[in-house]
Amino acid sequence: MSEKKVHEDQKYIDGLLKNNSFIIQAIYDKFVPKVVNYIKQNSGSSDKAQDVIQETLITIYNQASEKKLQLTCPFDAYFFLLCKRKWLNELKKSSNKEVTINEEVLSKDDEAQELAFETSVFGEKEALFTEMFQKLGTACKDLLTATFKIKSMEDVAKNLGVTYAYARKKKSLCIGKLTELVRESPKFNQINN
Amino acid sequence: MQDQDYILFETYLLEELSQEDVASFESRLKTDSEFNDAFNSYKALSSFLEHKFENEEATNAFQKNLTNISNTHFNKDKAVTEVKGTGKTFQFYKYAIAACVVVLFGIFTFNQFSNPSYSDFSNYDAVSLTVRGDNDDLLKTAENAFNAKDFASAEAVFKQLIAKDESNAEIKLYSAISNIELNNFASAEALLQDLKNGNSAFKNKATWFLALSKLKQNDNAACIVILKTIPEDAENYKQAQKLIDKLD
Repeated sequence: MSEKKVHEDQKYIDGLLKNNSFIIQAIYDKFVPKVVNYIKQNSGSSDKAQDVIQETLITIYNQASEKKLQLTCPFDAYFFLLCKRKWLNELKKSSNKEVTINEEVLSKDDEAQELAFETSVFGEKEALFTEMFQKLGTACKDLLTATFKIKSMEDVAKNLGVTYAYARKKKSLCIGKLTELVRESPKFNQINN
Repeated sequence: MQDQDYILFETYLLEELSQEDVASFESRLKTDSEFNDAFNSYKALSSFLEHKFENEEATNAFQKNLTNISNTHFNKDKAVTEVKGTGKTFQFYKYAIAACVVVLFGIFTFNQFSNPSYSDFSNYDAVSLTVRGDNDDLLKTAENAFNAKDFASAEAVFKQLIAKDESNAEIKLYSAISNIELNNFASAEALLQDLKNGNSAFKNKATWFLALSKLKQNDNAACIVILKTIPEDAENYKQAQKLIDKLD
């Protein structure tokens, strides 16, 4: 991906990452109305559109923040595809039917399609990870929270009243447990396929 | 995967493995797909957790800001719709106002027709009573008072004049009118009844004012009965018919 030329619209990604209100506002002014129209025309409401858009922007933010997302296509197309995909997935969930999204039979050569797909997968994984994290036992949740909040494992160990070695081992095993939860989840295979 | 494997993953990620161990670890990744998948998941989750907790504050700040902008945007959208709505309401108001005007006008007109008032019909000209004679002064006073609508003063003088000349139908008529104006309906109607039953030139006029007296008392039924006794050749016949129509 680093070989591909970064699109000038990367400014929107950077703006989101910097929590730049001016850029966020610009996204709402320029790109949101189209999405709202699309959702409204496809059995949705203004409220649903607001949620889908907000969740999509959070996913983009997270991907940008965690994975250093580089935009190689116009933001407009990328953002619209993401919101559309998210909305169709929600329709699919609520209708309990298999909704065939024809556009998603990927023409992977399309830059925007590909990038939107990646972000979408990232978002789904993130949702799954969050869900599975909540399924961990309290001890693991507390330890992992402490581990990643307090950077030093020594301090974590001290805080939890355990030895450093134990804390370190426990961290691995807790992430291991989480790995298993995720890998056993049917959703995980769906996402990866 | 075994516990050992997860501990190994962690050590590898923390770059604490010896060169030798790194080499064997990486070769296992290439050959053992199960091991490779588990490691990738572990790595992804580790990265996810790291990001989740390290950037919690920044993420929360972003989400809060985003929610504000989003709400503003969508409320503005709603506000725009509402403004459109107000536009419609404004149209509606215009129609409502127009309708009110029509209704008020209708009620007003209807009232004019259905509840004709005494004042609508009691059109009498300024009197000119002065004739040559002994009582010129009194007549002049009565005339002036009547024309100035000072009916109390006029009636006082009319009484004196009637006392002097009981046969003066004209004075009786104007006395009666004054009494109607003063709401002394009994006195007025006595005089008018007298005139109505008589044969003076003021017979029909008296009948007309008797009807108006009833009208002023809101006794529409009596008014209509009296109006119907006004003959076609009477001066007030047309007015009487009009009033009957409105009262009906």
